[in-house]
Amino acid sequence: MSEKSDKSEIIYLGIDLGTSRSSVSASNGQRHVIESFVGWPADMVAKKVLKREVLIGHEALENRTLLDLYRPLERGLMKEGSEKDTAAVKALLQELIRHAGAEQGGEGRRVRAVVGVPAEALRVNKQQLRSAMRGLVSSLMIVSEPFAVAYGMEELLHAMIIDIGAGTADFCVMMGRFPGEEDQRTLDTAGDAIDEQLAKLVAARYPRARFSIHMVRRWKEEHGFVGEPKNPVKVSAPIDGRPTELDITDEMRAACESILPPAIETMIDLLARVEPEFQEKVRHNIVLSGGTALISGLGEAFEEALAEFGGGNVQVVTDPIFVGSDGGLAIALDAPEEDWEKLPA
Amino acid sequence: MAKIERVKSRLLREAVAENVDLIEGRWRRRSHGRGAMARALARGAWLLALPVGLLASAGGNVPPAVTAVTASAGPTVLTSSPTLQVPHPTAPAFEQPAAVAPVVYPPPQPVDPQALPLAVHTVVIDPGHGGTNRGTGIPGGLVEKNITLDIGERLAALLREAGFRVVMTRNRDESVSLEQRAEIANHAAGDIFLSVHVNWIPTRGTRGVETYYLGPTDDPELTRLAARENQESGYSLADMRKILDGIYADVRQDESRRLAGEIEHNLFGALRKVNPHLDDRGVKRAPFVVLVATDMPAVLAEVSCLSNPKEAKLLGDEDYRQYIAFALYDGIQAYADSTQRPTIAERSGKG
Repeated sequence: MSEKSDKSEIIYLGIDLGTSRSSVSASNGQRHVIESFVGWPADMVAKKVLKREVLIGHEALENRTLLDLYRPLERGLMKEGSEKDTAAVKALLQELIRHAGAEQGGEGRRVRAVVGVPAEALRVNKQQLRSAMRGLVSSLMIVSEPFAVAYGMEELLHAMIIDIGAGTADFCVMMGRFPGEEDQRTLDTAGDAIDEQLAKLVAARYPRARFSIHMVRRWKEEHGFVGEPKNPVKVSAPIDGRPTELDITDEMRAACESILPPAIETMIDLLARVEPEFQEKVRHNIVLSGGTALISGLGEAFEEALAEFGGGNVQVVTDPIFVGSDGGLAIALDAPEEDWEKLPA
Repeated sequence: MAKIERVKSRLLREAVAENVDLIEGRWRRRSHGRGAMARALARGAWLLALPVGLLASAGGNVPPAVTAVTASAGPTVLTSSPTLQVPHPTAPAFEQPAAVAPVVYPPPQPVDPQALPLAVHTVVIDPGHGGTNRGTGIPGGLVEKNITLDIGERLAALLREAGFRVVMTRNRDESVSLEQRAEIANHAAGDIFLSVHVNWIPTRGTRGVETYYLGPTDDPELTRLAARENQESGYSLADMRKILDGIYADVRQDESRRLAGEIEHNLFGALRKVNPHLDDRGVKRAPFVVLVATDMPAVLAEVSCLSNPKEAKLLGDEDYRQYIAFALYDGIQAYADSTQRPTIAERSGKG
């Protein structure tokens, strides 16, 4: 017999596990985002200095020289093969849940979570995630990230969601039905690919400049753009130990635009699979979400590509960081009680 | 407003159902009204629009073309005749634009076999031919459709005894189209698919066993064999080549090759004991239609050569057919055992 539930005793969570950042939206009003990094002190000295067993998110990044640093989500999925990576995912999830004030156990409280994964995540990836969530929440539902975005925005009919994060770009056509494999695509050319490309281009132009991939990522987040530059992009990096201003306008544009060809090709491919009479509607209802969607001019670039096919509208979401977790929370809150009982963690 | 609520409610039900399947270890394949064959061919039809080189050899109607040309640094340039609609891959030809441009697709990515399901529960056995399609045969003597059914039934009994769930694409002498066979396999959520056939090789004296998985071939002999086995499909071999070119990266490819390897190894190993002059004709790729539309690792085994008088005589012997069934069973069992992969802890030496 099912346990009688009182919704007030239950906390609902929407979680967007990202390669770069992970966010949580909770039914108690809490919303948090953390960097998807986990680090353990590298040695006894580091442990003594940090006075912590594990550091997560921004703290881990800030102290990375003292840590064995893990970025446990690769292309939005748990890496397989290393116990440390599995432990890191668990630590990350635990931190998100703690931030949301939703730790289990207190006064019999139960936690129900909806977690978004890349559109083409395989069953084994989902099973691994289920294992990692065991003990952290009472019930768990796993959905594709673009589906969570679509649900949260109520873009469920004749819409396309393009969710570009760090590790993956997820595409999903919503036709009023649960998206099947033919409605979804995942590309692994996303934000990280831009970082790598930018690092290469800047290193080629300024061979003596010293910079890390974390600096490159920050430059992209602050100045990333596609199309004609509005202003020159100037950043600072040490050359021979001296802070030096570098003009990286051309490199930034080239790196950011490098993700466009596969993304546009995938968008067109998915559009082509839509029944012809609905293609126009879908073309005019494309939603661009995810952290990488913040790159200036990206929505316009997609629209420009659509012009060849009769035009279209691309709406960039105003809150790309939380749109996935908010969608997950909406699913969690809407799912009927009896359905949650079928989904023990 | 009521409509969106209805849509949300339906979507939630399906999301929950998918998760329940995951928890209970069921493998649901989602389909939206189009058959598996239609999907596979739609995918193929789209791929027909790929390189100009392929098109040059295709001849006839040109499939849809909407392509993006990649630029290393500059903005994307889309090349196509301006059109109000992106062509649907299954739409009739008159809806498709005529312009064709080359496209550079990334090479297929290797598939991590660890990402595949870890257990074999359901085996789909497909006895080749049947009904009006007799397959190969000896005038007034043995006929392929009967041999394959007999071996299929023997194999099914062995597998059931070992605890596998078995689904047969036919249980009697009836005509079943290649598309129907694939639909049966997909509907049953089979974990592996084995099509049983008997070979006919005109070269005098040739005998042996060979096992196929899906892929194109340049071998004219295999091309003829595939054409013979595919004759009821309605698709030309030229079409098939292009379809297959697009699905090299299919996750089933590596697993199908592995399954074919196990089956061939066991077939040859077991049968040469009673048929010492048997040839191991190996694991091969060929474009058999029945392997295209199945969603699971799928192979086609040519378990004997009816054109060889000595093998034909052996095939007439019930014991030999039982040997074949045992050998196929061992191949499937070996494959199933090998999919029980070690845990992460075991792999890292801590298990």
